[in-house]
Amino acid sequence: MISVCTRWYIVVLLLFPVAGFAQRDLSGFWTVKLEREPSGRALIDELPSDVLLIEDTGGGELASGEYGGLRLTERARLEIENYDYGAELRREKACDAPSVVFYMQAPFPMEVYAGRDLIVLKMEYFDMHRVIFLDGRDHPPADAPHSKSGHSVGYWDGNTLVVDTTHIAPGTFMNNGFEHSDAIHMVERFRLSEDGSTLWLTQVYEDASTFAGLAGRYMAWTRVPGEYIYPYDCDPSYGE
Amino acid sequence: MRRTSALLLMSCLGIAPLSAHHSFAVHFVPDERITIEGVVTEFRFRNPHGLIFLNVGDPDGAEQPWRVETNSPNILRRRGWAADSIKPGDHVTIEGYPARDSARLMRVYRLQFEDGREMIGQRPSVPQDED
Repeated sequence: MISVCTRWYIVVLLLFPVAGFAQRDLSGFWTVKLEREPSGRALIDELPSDVLLIEDTGGGELASGEYGGLRLTERARLEIENYDYGAELRREKACDAPSVVFYMQAPFPMEVYAGRDLIVLKMEYFDMHRVIFLDGRDHPPADAPHSKSGHSVGYWDGNTLVVDTTHIAPGTFMNNGFEHSDAIHMVERFRLSEDGSTLWLTQVYEDASTFAGLAGRYMAWTRVPGEYIYPYDCDPSYGE
Repeated sequence: MRRTSALLLMSCLGIAPLSAHHSFAVHFVPDERITIEGVVTEFRFRNPHGLIFLNVGDPDGAEQPWRVETNSPNILRRRGWAADSIKPGDHVTIEGYPARDSARLMRVYRLQFEDGREMIGQRPSVPQDED
């Protein structure tokens, strides 16, 4: 014999079986939310105390010659000394896409398709795509091919999606004359606001051949129903 | 956690460089603005940046060719720009950020047509809804 209380409990479970999932459903169109004060302060406060937070995301950019306090290695400094900024405007570099380390913070929207075992992020910036595996797999062997989006595996820690990314091909770190190496390791934490309208993200990077210690970024997006990203279709001859 | 002060710096300067495929600050002077006026010869609305080509009269009466870079067309589309928004022959006044190398190149902040219509490119401030 089931008690009245138990029956009510079952009814509630049947009515709201995905209450937890709702806070985990990242699906939709997201546009960059520029903020004077971060609405995702709680996520920032959870970063390890020794993470150097780089505030160049979305609409921001560090001034020429500024590196946000990063303690760059000799390799990175040499790269900066020899960097040819003029090449950025030429055909050979104009459509050179950044890696996931930089493209996530660009001021362009994204579409997210979220399933149980897989999340796909379709970025407007340079038409980049990310796949995040949630099926418990490991990263491939260290000598597997590296790509601009890398290899990402994730899991849910309560309402926070934790994503670990390796196998990232070298790319600009802060649009400032040096690249991160192919050994960079990135850990991200995605979290939705309670009403599901805002998505927050922190990233933490470790790349000993480029900078000492840990660096990180924070970013936020607003969900906009019914919108789609545009193709980027980069034209390398745009400036000729 | 240590923090950098880039946003504070930009706030003091009153600018909002939108980093796209290349560094804005490396190629343009973010805290200076110039204004030019001339006749459009070509408009390219392609990523990573649009380009407006125009002839600008100098004080001696000679015409000088200028190039004006825009934000990514994707960003501008959401502000009402389109590939046919600017046509050859249009007489326009453009305010923007000068190139660091003093070439006849700038990044557009705003463009005004003869009839008073205005289009906004890269804003000099950081409103909440900036993209």
